[in-house]
Amino acid sequence: MENNTDITLHLRTDPGLLCSVRALTSRYVGEWLHDDSKTKEIVLAIDEACANAIQHAYNNDPNQTITLRFTAMERTLEIQVEDRGHTAPTEKVQRKTPAPPDPETLTPGGLGVQLIHQVFDEADWCPGTPTGNCVRMRLYKKNQES
Amino acid sequence: MALELTEHNEAGLITVTAHGEVDLNSSPQLRDAILDAVQTCSTGVQVNLHHVAYMDSSGVATLVEGLQATTKNKHSFSLLRPSESVLKVLQLARLDSVFTIEGTA
Repeated sequence: MENNTDITLHLRTDPGLLCSVRALTSRYVGEWLHDDSKTKEIVLAIDEACANAIQHAYNNDPNQTITLRFTAMERTLEIQVEDRGHTAPTEKVQRKTPAPPDPETLTPGGLGVQLIHQVFDEADWCPGTPTGNCVRMRLYKKNQES
Repeated sequence: MALELTEHNEAGLITVTAHGEVDLNSSPQLRDAILDAVQTCSTGVQVNLHHVAYMDSSGVATLVEGLQATTKNKHSFSLLRPSESVLKVLQLARLDSVFTIEGTA
């Protein structure tokens, strides 16, 4: 996969830069997918992955680095978001079955992770070496007739 | 795109109007404006999201916090004319049914 990577981006963990990541992701994914609605969902999911790295892996330190890798193959889009911060606990990044929302007890923490699971066909969190996280997200192009 | 916020108080119902993008960078501004409105209002808070071009989960968390704070004070909380982007993230988060939504984009 590494040899096929189209774009590798090293991003400083300044939340003010997230708008630039969204612009790049929108253009790159839009060209591959040709589906505006799904492209917007992918943009949201990548933004969430970067925001999680900034907030949770690096505790909002604006002077760390996240690496994004964009790879588009004929039928598969893969985007990786890597950090070298605190490794996320497994239970925090698992796909959960959503419970009926109760406004009184609602705690929106972890919402970003569930959005990522929902938007992509596959999303895996691997521990970094020696620290950090590698979030690998994959989307498969559906057959037009399906 | 920066986030711009304005506030209007009509008979104790405070409307916070947002223009721009709500993300990790700007959601603290929206949070401050909503929680200020919660403290000041006498009947409720309305958040006009018609001109919000983008919202992420930190924005959703801010809206949930506003809803919970107003409910605690026995005031109303509603979203006014949320944009397509806002509705999308609320639906993806399965939280669209939690909010009172007035008007459509």
